[in-house]
Amino acid sequence: MPPARRAARSRNRLALFVLTAITLLSLDFRGFGPIETAQSGVRDVIHPITSLVDTVLSPFSDAWNAVFRYGDLEAQNAELRQQLDDMTGKAIQVEADRAAYDRLRDAVDIRFGGDIPRVAATVLRGEVGNFDTDVVTIDKGSNAGLKPGMAVVTGAGFVGRLSQVDNTTSTVQLVSDSSLIIGVRLVSTDDVGLGHGVPGRVNEFVVDQGPGWPEGGNPELLPEIGSAVVTATDSRYPAEIPIGVVASVSTPDGLAMEVTVKLSNDVTDLGFVSILLDIARDEVPLRPVVPSTIVPIEVDPSQLGSVTTGGSTP
Amino acid sequence: MTALRVSAVCVLALSLQLTVFVDVRVLGVAPELLAMVAILAGYFGGSQNGQVVAFGAGLLWDIYLPTHLGVSALIFAVAAHAVGSLEASLFHDSRLQRAAVVMSATVAIVLAYALSNEILGVRGLINLRLVKVAVVAGMLNGVLSLAAAPVMRWAVPAKSDRPGGAVDFSATRG
Repeated sequence: MPPARRAARSRNRLALFVLTAITLLSLDFRGFGPIETAQSGVRDVIHPITSLVDTVLSPFSDAWNAVFRYGDLEAQNAELRQQLDDMTGKAIQVEADRAAYDRLRDAVDIRFGGDIPRVAATVLRGEVGNFDTDVVTIDKGSNAGLKPGMAVVTGAGFVGRLSQVDNTTSTVQLVSDSSLIIGVRLVSTDDVGLGHGVPGRVNEFVVDQGPGWPEGGNPELLPEIGSAVVTATDSRYPAEIPIGVVASVSTPDGLAMEVTVKLSNDVTDLGFVSILLDIARDEVPLRPVVPSTIVPIEVDPSQLGSVTTGGSTP
Repeated sequence: MTALRVSAVCVLALSLQLTVFVDVRVLGVAPELLAMVAILAGYFGGSQNGQVVAFGAGLLWDIYLPTHLGVSALIFAVAAHAVGSLEASLFHDSRLQRAAVVMSATVAIVLAYALSNEILGVRGLINLRLVKVAVVAGMLNGVLSLAAAPVMRWAVPAKSDRPGGAVDFSATRG
């Protein structure tokens, strides 16, 4: 074939691929069901192969980790020992608080993650590639009763939500993902708001929609540093799942409150998780978008449920 | 037969990416094996055949990424077309030259991937880390291409204007 004709054929083929890719992109944007089913099917078919490769080559990965991450492990070990000391001291107080809390919860009839059946799962792998720091893959799927949207937790608190569920594996969108918006309650002030992860700061979470800055910045009305942040009753997830503790409080504009939260889970180092087999509320009915992201403090917190955002819904 | 070999190589690369290279990273960066397969397919198979393999490899990779389906496929196909369209006279089958091509194309692919996703609304990909990811992934791919090249040469028969062979996909298909 003459070079000119070959080049023309090559360009035509490239144009065909570009059009195919654009078609796939537009179908993916619209959430076209058959495309998602096909992707899930491919992952299910390939899963046994990746498991086999993992089994064969895991000694190599382990050796790499032992050689290059020994320092990290030592530091992590010291930090864990420190945390264990702290927690031992708090355990007695927690036990007393727990009894009072259970009585209160029974009185107001709030569903708590602790009452919901759960499935334990092992984290198969963390980020794949170089840009997906906010997802992990677990070894349970629809065969175990999982559905997209279910909450994923550990004993420490909220980890994320199921974003993709195949037959035997699932992908968890972690709480550190800035596009995952979560309805939260600040326990010390009972303020309700919307929060999300912070790009580049893996174990940080910020609540920047909802609570207003108190007049004059009265410190008594601000959330206490170190106080708990939990999922709100109107959230897509079961209420009262711990998210983390308040690390700092600021106001970017003098009106709204921006609460930085230290996540209770280290999402970079997850081994086992539990999935709450709650009714998956992945499809939230569309409601009118409220243009302002600032909710005056006098607004009833229960009305925050009607606020929707451009990204994931709480 | 060629399609089977190409599929086997793509699945092997994907499996390694999803297992070994989840842990084995340099400066927190993993190589981009599927991108390397796409580039080497363009290098050995030429523009026409290379972009077929590259599109398939990209699609396979897209299935595992939380970003939109089709982005990697599009970028890989364009990269393979570009590598395959390089003047045949430039190629002397030198390992160093091939590694340099793989490295440069990987850097371009990583940058294009981040840019495309930002355009499509995925935030947080364009930052200082991107430069590190592009450079380190490029270097890792360049080094790994020394080992991967013989496998790709076996899987993707070379065109007449490429070093090492004279087989066309259309001739081997079916």
